[in-house]
Amino acid sequence: MASLGELERAVMDRLWSADGPLAAAELRDGLADRGLALTTVHTVLSRLEQKGFVVHDDARPRRFRARGTREEHAADLMHEVLGQAGDRQAVLARFVGGVDADEARLLRELLAAAGPDADR
Amino acid sequence: MLPATAAALAVLAALLAWPVPALLARARWPRRDPLVALVCWQAIGLAGGLSIIGALLVHGLAPWGHSLPEAWWHWVTRHPADAPVRGDHWVAQTLAAVLAVELVGVLLLSWVRTARTRRRHRELLELVVQPASLPMALPATLPDARLLEHPAPVAFCIPGARPLLVLSSGMVAELDDAQLAAVVAHERAHLREHHHLYLLPFVAWEAALPVLPAAGRAHAAVRTLVEMRADDVALGSLPGPAPRRTLAQAIVVAAGGAGGAGVPSGALAVTGSAVGARVVRLLEPPSPLPAWGRVLALLSAGLLLLVPTALLLLPAF
Repeated sequence: MASLGELERAVMDRLWSADGPLAAAELRDGLADRGLALTTVHTVLSRLEQKGFVVHDDARPRRFRARGTREEHAADLMHEVLGQAGDRQAVLARFVGGVDADEARLLRELLAAAGPDADR
Repeated sequence: MLPATAAALAVLAALLAWPVPALLARARWPRRDPLVALVCWQAIGLAGGLSIIGALLVHGLAPWGHSLPEAWWHWVTRHPADAPVRGDHWVAQTLAAVLAVELVGVLLLSWVRTARTRRRHRELLELVVQPASLPMALPATLPDARLLEHPAPVAFCIPGARPLLVLSSGMVAELDDAQLAAVVAHERAHLREHHHLYLLPFVAWEAALPVLPAAGRAHAAVRTLVEMRADDVALGSLPGPAPRRTLAQAIVVAAGGAGGAGVPSGALAVTGSAVGARVVRLLEPPSPLPAWGRVLALLSAGLLLLVPTALLLLPAF
């Protein structure tokens, strides 16, 4: 039995690669190798809608499409990570914050000046 | 009947609100032993809250008894006061309650808020990123690592019950295998030692007491110390001839590449010097704190917690 997270990813992959909005039955047929019931597809879709990844239109039957592309979601997340102000950084631990060009040059000089034997 | 106790607590609170954090933030020794310094910061935060709320409470409840537990019990059971109750007693009580509710409330609020944002990030990552697309160079034991397609060299981890370690494709492209392993070891150290929990009270306190310069200073110091601690832990697990240099190189590459567009300048000014301090510390390691220094620091931290607790519980002098 595949986990819900895995099904969500499979459904999103379908929606992202589709040319237009898809009905739940089309999604089920597209994922035929998983042998999903239509209700399962609907469960996954409503979860994805709650999380804001999927929207549906008013056609009958309803058709679903991804709200943003995979790249847009990745870019949004990255923008949040890169632009995080100090008070928001409790959310995640970033390896190193960005520095301005001057300090970046200073750091490189520091590294070069230290030479290869910093670990004596 | 507790004026001396209240005064002592107030003095302690004042010391912990300004000179003590200022001294510790400026001291040179914390970078020699970040973990001990982190313990000291936690003690300062806890003792500071305890003594300011305690001072107000002790003064506010003074008419009801000779020690705080006794006075508290009389107050709760509606026992008549032994001494006349003046307006300033009520004011102190109210202030104590407001401050306690605010500090605890802000702590809970930021806990909930960060948990929610983390969940959203995790959901996003789990949908957007294929778990199979791991950096090939890394050891195979990275079930919680994700590779995010983005040109900027960025690495971060999302703490929590199901932690995630995220590397950008830019990071993988710009670093060699040893440097990448150093980055992963650093982030792993954050997760293993639950560094986000050390930070949480200071994030909350800075939000709760924006007028207190010490709150912001403490937050910045703790953030830097947590990074230094993760560097130290990472060094212990890194193979290769020059782990210090490898880690320093990774930091310099990541810091230089992630700057520029998209990063607000306010964040830069804060993190800038901390990054430099980390690199200097790796390249020219300060001698470790001697055992007596560690013991002294830990004893002071313990004493810092013991004094307000004793003042609160013991009968008035």
